[in-house]
Amino acid sequence: MTTARQVRLTVNGVAYEAQVEPRTTLVDFLRGDLGLTGTHVGCEHGVCGACTILVNGRSVRSCLMLAVQADGDSLTTVEGLGDGKLHPIQEAFREEHGLQCGFCTPGFLMATYELLQLNRSPSDEEIKDALGGQICRCTGYQAILSSVRLAAAKLRE
Amino acid sequence: MAVEIPKALSDLPVSSPRWIGRSVMRVEDPLLLSGRAEFIDNVVLPRMLHCAILRSPYAHARIRGIDLGEAESLQGVVAIVTGEDAQRWTQPGPTLPENWGTLCLATDKVRFVGEPVAAVAATSRYVAEDALEHIQVEYESLPPVADPVKALEPESPLIFEEHGSNVMLQRVFKYGEIDAAFRDADHVYTEKFRWHRVGANPLETFGVISQWDPIEESLTCHGSFQSASHMALGRTLTLGLPSNKVRLISQPHGGSFGGKGGARGTDISALLSRKAGGRPVKWIEDRMEYLMAGGSQAWDRHYEASLALKRDGTAIGLKVKLLDDLGATAEGYGAMSAAKPLASFTGCYAIPAAEYDLTIVATNKLPASPYRGMGPPPHNYVLEHLMDIAARDLGLDPAEIRRRNYIPPDRFPYTIPTGNEYDSGNYEAALNKALEMSEYKELREEQAQARKQGRLLGIGLVSTIEPGVFDWNAYAIVGMPGTGVPEGVRVGIDVLGKITLRVGFALEGQGQYTVGAQLLADYFGVELDDVRVVAQDTQSAPPHFGPGGSRLGVAMSAAVLGAAGRLKDKLVKVAAGLLQSKPEDVELMDGMLRVKGVPGAEMPVAQVAATMLTRSDLLPPDVDPSPEATYVWTAPGRTPADEQGRAKTYLTAANACHVVLLEIDPETGFVKILKYFIADDCGTRLNPSNVEGMIQGGVAQGVGAALLEEYVYDEEAQLLTSTFMDYLLPTINEVPMTEKAALVTPSPFTPLGAKGVGEGAIHTTPAAIMCAINDALAPLGVRATEVPASPNRIWSLLREAKRTP
Repeated sequence: MTTARQVRLTVNGVAYEAQVEPRTTLVDFLRGDLGLTGTHVGCEHGVCGACTILVNGRSVRSCLMLAVQADGDSLTTVEGLGDGKLHPIQEAFREEHGLQCGFCTPGFLMATYELLQLNRSPSDEEIKDALGGQICRCTGYQAILSSVRLAAAKLRE
Repeated sequence: MAVEIPKALSDLPVSSPRWIGRSVMRVEDPLLLSGRAEFIDNVVLPRMLHCAILRSPYAHARIRGIDLGEAESLQGVVAIVTGEDAQRWTQPGPTLPENWGTLCLATDKVRFVGEPVAAVAATSRYVAEDALEHIQVEYESLPPVADPVKALEPESPLIFEEHGSNVMLQRVFKYGEIDAAFRDADHVYTEKFRWHRVGANPLETFGVISQWDPIEESLTCHGSFQSASHMALGRTLTLGLPSNKVRLISQPHGGSFGGKGGARGTDISALLSRKAGGRPVKWIEDRMEYLMAGGSQAWDRHYEASLALKRDGTAIGLKVKLLDDLGATAEGYGAMSAAKPLASFTGCYAIPAAEYDLTIVATNKLPASPYRGMGPPPHNYVLEHLMDIAARDLGLDPAEIRRRNYIPPDRFPYTIPTGNEYDSGNYEAALNKALEMSEYKELREEQAQARKQGRLLGIGLVSTIEPGVFDWNAYAIVGMPGTGVPEGVRVGIDVLGKITLRVGFALEGQGQYTVGAQLLADYFGVELDDVRVVAQDTQSAPPHFGPGGSRLGVAMSAAVLGAAGRLKDKLVKVAAGLLQSKPEDVELMDGMLRVKGVPGAEMPVAQVAATMLTRSDLLPPDVDPSPEATYVWTAPGRTPADEQGRAKTYLTAANACHVVLLEIDPETGFVKILKYFIADDCGTRLNPSNVEGMIQGGVAQGVGAALLEEYVYDEEAQLLTSTFMDYLLPTINEVPMTEKAALVTPSPFTPLGAKGVGEGAIHTTPAAIMCAINDALAPLGVRATEVPASPNRIWSLLREAKRTP
């Protein structure tokens, strides 16, 4: 164990200041210290993508990053989508049955959010490329693909 | 009083169903999409501690001593348990076959890599893991055995010395005139097949919070339990507690597919809580623990199988010899997977005789667990590949040989030689649909053109059964007792007319809460939002099992409709009094209790329910003031198994025909799926999107099993695939987007004609892909019989083909 260090960061627009051990992963900090449990842990070695969040607008696996590394950063998690109601991406996943157990879903939503920020009309190949690092064990991806297509259409409206 | 459960949508008390049978949006999704579902790792209890488990690095070793060193004095460590505590406070868990189990923590020796040896409860998981580093275990390594063939040899190391052998079960089962069939056959085709270990890998691993009550001597656990009541019963046995002092609360969980595991982790955290004076102890399995030592591994199989046929391609006998490597113990119910194929042993075909030569053997690998499908995926692959081998030799198209052997539609209900009864089906219709969708003729022409250019295109076409609604009697040959699996629910209407459905299982992904809400919304004529589905703990819910064996859609629907029917009978009695009529003259229709033939003499359901709760003075004397009803359903007509394991086991038989087109890269052996078509018949679809989602999910797992996923052990029984970098799960880039068609042959035995669904695609996809690979390889004269057909294996076959012109 080493001495705790201070971090200042913004999550979903809210400023936080906390003391954390340097070894604390960012996902453990979000879930344990801040109580933002919408970000899930699937593998803790950077393969499954369940813990995907946005750090300064870009997708990051929060299990592979330490909380102290996020000092000064602006983070967005699934709790930051929508504003008291479902975000159009979330609505699209619901309408297209793009989830089953829902455990991987926050990661898919964040990866989709990033994609649609960068590309409002992605092709199927571009969607697959953007979601290639997210694993879903339930859906077989077909409904996820159609969810992302619909989400893009909703956001273009 | 007997309650009528509607057999068809038209029997529901609604003029035209608004909800059931439609792809309505799921009621569970807003919670999941917004990240608010209470998965187990989100649950925090006051004074909660965190558990980490020290695991054996050896596959087989004697434990000479354990030195806790400074672990106990580390700041934040509250309790440590070892095999001594397990010996003092626990019994080995139940196993199938019996007496092949161990305590939750190793005592005298370890039998597989990852077996728990000690565990720590501390104020954080980080501190608990720190503490593990201070614990020294002295091992004396023993020779391990990783190969089930070697495990059968007399000089093999023994996993359990007291048994004198590693054979857990060995028996030959004969069904029908199998010897005569092989004697009379014009052709017999025999092949060996190897199916390597794969497994469930839900995105959420297992997790539990155990809390021991030292005053009451009772245990409460929150956890991601697939079958909480079953897990609770196991804990009463391992922990020696009265069954009414074990309470399990199922949290929503992130998938299961049979392979959630968790028995050892629950016992270990319970011991830690006991030692920590009753503080709650959370154990969250990490992914490497799951892969190495969780409910992760299934189906480690060596097959030799033969198909006997007449000259015209009629199959008359099937022999399957299976050597099943169950791993170190029989604790995980993995042996059920060897019994399950009996439920659809001869597939879609009218094969009159069969033989199952079954050997289940122990090795120093992880004990096997159930996994979606429970055994038929490898078995179906073996049968379907044999069909293709026969077709190729007889000069028949794969579609034609199947067409000649299907059980015809007019012979249902149909009893297969291994005893199970198929309820209904039309297999040729599914085949025709698949041929039409895939433009099969054109596919064959495309293949012929490609072959001329030296390309390795293959087409796979297979037909399979999905046994639905499991029963314990299906597993009698490996020692499972009992007949009848209950599913109970409670339906209530409150004073404001809102409906609550109480069930004994948690969210798992299949959308059952939505189906329950659909049924009740139509039954009582309300909006979907007026129905809320609530999970109950094991002490509050009526007898139940929950998801498993493609059962819950049917079982829960039946229970919901049974409870709704009982509740309706109460409402009718009350309404009859209020409407000054007789119960036999009052009916429920479109949300109204109405007097038949008297327009305007009616009351809404909500008003009748409210009257029951607020105006006891208006109730008939024989009606209690409770607009609630409970119903516990078991499948009708189930029979106990005979000594050969024959019984009416699974209530329904869905079927599917898959057609796949793929291409093998001749340089690398890499397989690319180009097109994929599915014609699936699971009877009435209660929520078509739910069904399609489960089919597509099964395809993905089938692709994984056929091409990517494999638990690899070395000769020392060390696992070489303990991360997702090594155990490869399919991503969006490997799974084909499939074209699907729904056929509907209703079940005559279930509510609304629905059949069990959820496992059908994993039953079918691996066989379809393997048959397509072999179709591609056929001109080269080599056969792929090892699953997964990973690029290295295919590449080796391609090299072999080059060497032998």
